[in-house]
This record gives sequence, structure tokens and C-alpha cells, in this order.
Amino acid sequence: MASSSGNDDDLTIPRAAINKMIKETLPNVRVANDARELVVNCCTEFIHLISSEANEICNKSEKKTISPEHVINALESLGFGSYIAEVKDVLQECKTVALKRRKASSRLENLGIPEEELLRQQQELFAKARQQQAELAQQEWLQMQQAAQQAQLAAASASSAQQAGSSQDEDEEDDM
Amino acid sequence: MSDANMEEKVEQATSSKTISLPISRVRLIMKSSPDVSCINQDALFLTTKATELFVQHLALSSFKNGSGKETNTLSYSDLANVAEETETFQFLTDILPKKILAREYLKSLEEMKKEDGNL
Repeated sequence: MASSSGNDDDLTIPRAAINKMIKETLPNVRVANDARELVVNCCTEFIHLISSEANEICNKSEKKTISPEHVINALESLGFGSYIAEVKDVLQECKTVALKRRKASSRLENLGIPEEELLRQQQELFAKARQQQAELAQQEWLQMQQAAQQAQLAAASASSAQQAGSSQDEDEEDDM
Repeated sequence: MSDANMEEKVEQATSSKTISLPISRVRLIMKSSPDVSCINQDALFLTTKATELFVQHLALSSFKNGSGKETNTLSYSDLANVAEETETFQFLTDILPKKILAREYLKSLEEMKKEDGNL
């Protein structure tokens, strides 16, 4: 629904939202399409009506921002006083929900560990791990060295024993 | 489901404590009103909910007052009629003129001409 003219008056509540409300209010009633379109436009008209009235009340009170009080007075003076009780209830509910959300998020921030601390702890763990790895590697290397030395010694003694044995044989042959 | 049950369900749905209309859109429409400057967030909530109640009120009144009760329908003329007959909805008559048939319009034009002729 692109509006190239950008005309503010083309602003309306989305048709789907209105259809849903009509359906909930008048279940099982068939509503003509042009009637639905009309309700959409009536909504815009209603919002303008309330805004203008509330704005006037606001101007008279010399405040710059339209407050809930101004809207409630506007509803009363325009004959929609019957809406006031329910509308006030919803406002209370909205505030309670917003308050709960704020409390929940601040509690979480207090219990949790701040990000910098978490990073520091992570670095510490990495460093520790690297050190352990290095020590382990060194140990293994030493063990290998020792094993290699032992193997060398063992091999050396074995070969010298063999040499001694073979030279004896040679002597015997010469004598015959 | 009995009528009483149905009415209860409708009441529950209509007196919900939440807002179903898009608040940002309502804000845009409010700001497009001439001279409206700053709107407090709570005032916006109130207006949005009031608009919801308005839709429900308009739909229900039009249906109850209208001619479609037996056939379970709601027509354009039901809405136009209730706007004309109910004081609080009279602000709507600007945007929903009662549709009249073309021939009726022509007839009334002719009658006006005749009256002019007699003068």
C-alpha cells in the first residue's frame, strides 16, 4: 500500500486488525466489504476526533504534552465516557507489564558477571591450559629421551658382547 | 453453544486487558491531526484502547440497530443509519453519507427543479 503522494490523511489502521476485531465482536455475522472499509475510515476519524479534543484541553491547561488526563477528559466531553473505566484498566496493566520487564532485566544484570570479568576469566583458563599442555609435552619428551638412552645403552652392550664372541671364533680357525 | 455462553465469550474477548491495534500507527494518525505536537506514551495507550472500544461499540450498535439481524449480516447502510441516529456517532456523518439510489437522487433533483419553477 505504497503512497507516493505521502498524504497524511491516507493513514489508516491496517484492515486485517479491524477485520479481526469485527469478527471477535460479531462472530458468525457476515459483514459487507464496503462496511468493513467504512469501519477502517471511522477509526481514523475517531482518532482525529479524540486527538483534537485532547489537544484543545491540553492547550488550555498550558501543558505542552498531551497527557492521559487530557485524553480521559476528551472522551468524557465527546460522549465516550463509558470507555473510560476499561481504558484506565488497560493503562494500569501496560504499566505493570513494563515495570515487571524492567525489574526482570535489572535483576539479571546484577546477578550475572559483567562481560569484562568473563573475558578475563576466559583468558586465565586458556593460559592455564596452555601451561598444562606445555608441561605435559615436556614430560613426554623427557620420557622419550630417557627411553632412547636406555635403548642405546642396551644396544651397545649387546653388540660389544657379540663382538667379543665372534673374535674368539676367528682365533680357533687359525689354529687348525 | 447457548446464547448466554456466546455472549460471555464475546465479553471476555472484548474486555481484554491488552491492546491489539498497532500503537505506532495510532501515533502516526494522531500526529497527522493539525496542531497536535507531543503525546505522552500513556496517553497513546489510552487512545489506542479507546479506538478498539470504539470499533466494538460501532459494530455492535450498528448490528443491533440494523436490518440484518435475521440474516446475520451487517451492511454499509446499517453503519450509516446508526451514525445518523446516535448522537455520539454523528461525527461520522461527514465520511459516510447515506448511499441513495441514483433514481431517487434524480427524482429529488427534479422535485427541487419543480419547486424552483413554482417560485
